Parts: sequence; C-alpha cells; structure tokens
Amino acid sequence: MIANSLGIMAPILIAGLGGLLSERAGVLNISLEGLMLTGAFAAIVVTAATGSVLLGVLTAAVAGALLALVFSIISIDFGSNIFITGLGINLLAAGGIPFISNQLFGTKGVLRFAEMPVLPRLDLTFEFRIPLVHDLLFGHHVGVYLGIVLTVLVWVALYRSSFGLRVRVVGVNPETLRLRGLSPERYKRIAIILSGIGAGLGGGLLALRLGVYLPNITSGRGWIALVTIYLGYRHPGGVLIAAFVFAFAETVSMAAQGVIALPNTVLLSLPYVLTVLAMVIYSAVRHSSARRVRYQR
Amino acid sequence: MDTHRLVRTVYGITILAAAVLLAATACAPDEERTVSFSIAVFVPGVVEGSPTYEMLVEGVKRAAEERDEVAVRVIEGGFNQAEWGEGLTSLSATGEYDLIVSSNPSLPEIAAEVAESFPAQRFLILDGYGDNHESMATVQFNQREQAFLNGYFAGLVTTHDGLKHTRDELRIGLLAGQEYPIMNEVIVPAFTLGAQTIDPDIEVDFRVLGNWYDAGTANELAGSMIGRGADVILTIAGGGNQGVIAAAKERGGYVLWFDSSGYDQEPGVVLGSSIIRLDTIAYERTLQAIDGDLSFGVSEVVGVREGYVDFDTEDSLYQRHVPTDIRAEIGKILERLRSGDLELEMPRL
Repeated sequence: MIANSLGIMAPILIAGLGGLLSERAGVLNISLEGLMLTGAFAAIVVTAATGSVLLGVLTAAVAGALLALVFSIISIDFGSNIFITGLGINLLAAGGIPFISNQLFGTKGVLRFAEMPVLPRLDLTFEFRIPLVHDLLFGHHVGVYLGIVLTVLVWVALYRSSFGLRVRVVGVNPETLRLRGLSPERYKRIAIILSGIGAGLGGGLLALRLGVYLPNITSGRGWIALVTIYLGYRHPGGVLIAAFVFAFAETVSMAAQGVIALPNTVLLSLPYVLTVLAMVIYSAVRHSSARRVRYQR
Repeated sequence: MDTHRLVRTVYGITILAAAVLLAATACAPDEERTVSFSIAVFVPGVVEGSPTYEMLVEGVKRAAEERDEVAVRVIEGGFNQAEWGEGLTSLSATGEYDLIVSSNPSLPEIAAEVAESFPAQRFLILDGYGDNHESMATVQFNQREQAFLNGYFAGLVTTHDGLKHTRDELRIGLLAGQEYPIMNEVIVPAFTLGAQTIDPDIEVDFRVLGNWYDAGTANELAGSMIGRGADVILTIAGGGNQGVIAAAKERGGYVLWFDSSGYDQEPGVVLGSSIIRLDTIAYERTLQAIDGDLSFGVSEVVGVREGYVDFDTEDSLYQRHVPTDIRAEIGKILERLRSGDLELEMPRL
C-alpha cells in the first residue's frame, strides 16, 4: 500500500516542490495544472517520436519551463496580476494542447502510440533481502526516486545556499535585495521557471507512467500540488509529507472500495477528508507545542 | 489611465482572448447550410475521444447526405450535465431545427422538461428511454444483454487454463466512471449474471473512478483489482479506460471494452468488446425523420435480436488472441440471444 502511495505521490510532490520555490519568491503560481498538462503532452509526443523516455522527461521539463517563462514575462515585465496570468496560462494549456494535437495528429482526444515505452521501475535484486524493507525501497518507478532526490535538493537550495536565501528574501521583502544591488525580479523569474520545470516534470512522469496522453490527464493534480505547499507549511519536507498523506489516503480509499461495504461514491471522498483531517491534527499538535514553549519561557 | 496600467490591461485581455480563441478553434462547430430540413445534433459532452458520440454524429451526417437540402449542425454541450438543459432549451428556442438528435440516458428527462415550453420541437434520443413522450422518439439499447455478454466472456476467460495472465482466483473486475441507475441496477447485475452462468463462484470486484477522465487513478484502481486477483476487467470509464489498459499491460491482465470495438487499443490486452450499433440506428432513424416516417411518442428497446447490440467477433485481433473454445462459446450464446432462446429483458428504471 505504501509502495502504491509513493507512485501516486511522485507527480504531485515534484509539481508541489516547483510551486513551493515560486511561492517562497512571492509568486503563487496557480498555473501548475496547465504546466503539468503541457509537460504531459510534450513527454508523450517526444517519447513517441524518439523512443526515449529520458528525452520525453527532459522535454516535459523544458516545455514547463518555457510556459513558465511566458508566465514570468507577463507577470513581472508587464506587471499583470499573477492570478489572472495563472488563469490565462491554464486556459492556454487547456485550449492550446487540443489545437496543437489536432494539427499534428488529427485528434483532440487520446494520444496513444504503438510500441510506446513507459517509465521504468528500479528493480534491484539482492541475495539477502528483508522483504518489507526491500518492497519499500525498490520496485518503484523512477519518478519516486526523482521526487525524493528533488525534495532534498530543494531543501538544500532553499536553506543552505545564497540563492535560496535570496529567493526567500524576495518573497518577504524584495526591497532588501534591491538595496544590496541585486535584482528581485531576476530571482522571481528563476523561481517561476523552476516551478515550470517541476510542474512539467510532474505532468511528464504522470503521462509516461501510463504511456498515453489524454485531455485532462492531470485531473486536478496541479491544484492538489498547490494545496500541498500550504498543507506542508511552505517547507520541502512538509510538501513531501502532505503529498504522501494525500497519496496514502487515495490508496486507502481505492483498496477500501474492494473490501469495505460502504458505497463507492462515499469512499471516493476519503482522500480529501483524510488529508484535511491529518493536517488539522498536525496543525493542532504543532500549535499546542508552540504554546507550551511560549508558556515555559 | 496611466500607461503601465493600460499596457497591463491590454496584455491581460490579449492573453485571455488568445486562450479563448484557441479553445474556440479547438471545438468549432460544423458549418451550416441553407435547407429545407434542419437537424441539430446535441452532443452531451464532446465528440472527440468518445466512440459513441462519434458514431452518433457519423450516423446522422450519413443520413443527411443521402437526402437533398438537409443541414446538420453539431453542438457540443460539454461535460457539465447541469448545462445540458439550458443548451437544449436555447436550441429549441431558435425554432430553426426540425429535429434535435442526442444520445444519453439522462437526455429524455431533460428533453421532456424542454418540451413543456416548446411542444412543437421534435427530439430523437438514442441510448435513452423516453416513456412514450409525444415529443420524442427514443431508442434504448438492451444493456442488460450487453453487460451479460461481457460477463459471460469474462467468466470464460477467468476459468480458462490456456491464457497467460489468468489466475487461480475466480475474480473478475468492473470499473465504472460513475455510479448511476443503469450501472448499478442493470450493468453490474447482468455482468455478474453472465460470469456466474459460467461458474457460480465467480466474484465481481466493482470499483468506481468518480469521473470519466482520470486515467492515473483508474490505473491505480485497476492495479489494486489485479492485485486482489481479478484477471479480467470490464472498463466503462471514458478516458479512465486508458489507465486500465496501462495497468493490465504492466501487471498482467485482460481488459474488456464496452460500446465500441477496442481491440486495436492494445492488441492482446483488450480481449473482448461488446458493441452497440449506434451509428446504424442513428442513420436509420434520422433518415425516417427526414422522410416523415419516424413515429414520435414511441420508445423502442433494441438488443442482440434486432442486431443493434453485439459482441465484436469479426475483428482479426479477437480471432488471433482469443482461444478457439472461448470464441465458440461466445458464438453459441450470441446465437441463443439472436434466436430468442435466451431472453434478457431490459428492466424499466
């Protein structure tokens, strides 16, 4: 069940980490959904054309980055409202992809190609193995490992590098950076492009797991990724936990459908209820311990 | 207004307009011609990617082409069911259309409401039951027979020894996009009945996706079903079907298709397809309507016997991947349904 959860978690986590970077730079990127969709489309088209999953994944990141660059030009250079811009990018992806798909392949619907390679799984076999630990560590698709590595990288970038410090400062007080002779806009732009890379990768991994592109393949995962940023208290580790909690709740609800004698429609709402519940409990515990610390002082 | 603000506003409007334009281009309606009989095809969803709606449009257009001065306009109503009534009302309000054709189990009820305001408007609704409403002619497919055929085939597969991915457990799966009366009260019981006709111990693992597009979640659900021992899954989940194929391909299992032939989706994985001949009936009934021969106030139910519900046994991929004994059994059960030896009446809901 944990293994399944990790698979569901990966695209949400990676998109969430990207969104976290731009959020910390003071730009809430609500176009994650559209960026993910673009990444998914680019990944399938390039993988089908080249036969290389790696090229597909890289193109997904580039496609996300390019669209995020458009977002940054509109919001930073033209000073447009970031929410309207984000909405525009989402609409652009939803309307533009079927248009391009129709021009290239003559269909606005499902893109399925013969002999399409899918995302590989990391399977290592050892002579001596502990079953549970082995199942937890191995056998996942590469996106899961990429997600974990990126969590660490984003944490290092945010808290252990001058770049991360500047991104965080931009989010709180951009003028401080300007006073030091640095351009806050530059850091905002980089953070937005990084969010595009994250979301593009997330979408690409999602599509390459299935080996197919179809309209609305992201099905709100970009929005869930956006939510994990706040549920995770704007911290990479928190995003990881929030994405995992959601994915685990979804796995539980899926497994419950086959076992528990409750209407399936009721069980479908379980991931959302469980995620909110987990976060409310976490928030309550966190606040009560913070109050205790204050009292002890 | 200062320059910056003006630039910002113009830019915002341009981007939104570009997005809307692209979206509009992506679903531009067909051109209209000047004519004596005008037909509107109201698609409750979008045509692209939906085999049934593609069949609907194709059938109506084919009929229109056979007669002079007949115009067909296709209107896509989108996925929001709450907006279908409004869409149908505005089409009727124009008074331009001699016939509105549509296809969906929920459409007769919506059309009946619209007919109260526009009693002269005539509807032809396929895949729905209109309870002999005077404004409409409806044709419902016997989905009890259709689901029974899928279940019978699934039963033959799961009990077969010669297929690579069959398991010991007597379990088969059914994934639905959503729960609705025909799904819960006709399709699931008939699918189960079909399978249990082969072996009464066969269990059906019934799961619901919650929408008609989330292939990622469908993939996980199908994976979970296969993990619990279901070796063959009937998928009725729209775009979600793609996720089921991916799961069956990766984890070893078989998929059954519903409503249209799906063998070429993934040869060797999609093993069986029950079909409805929606294109044929759309063509025939539209032609009757144009000629003035279609009786309104009549609600038909058609099935295997009439030739509008079938199991696609002609496809070369079916013949290549399905063992001979299973094909023979399917041939026999189809013959019993055609001859009336086996009757499975479609219940009134």
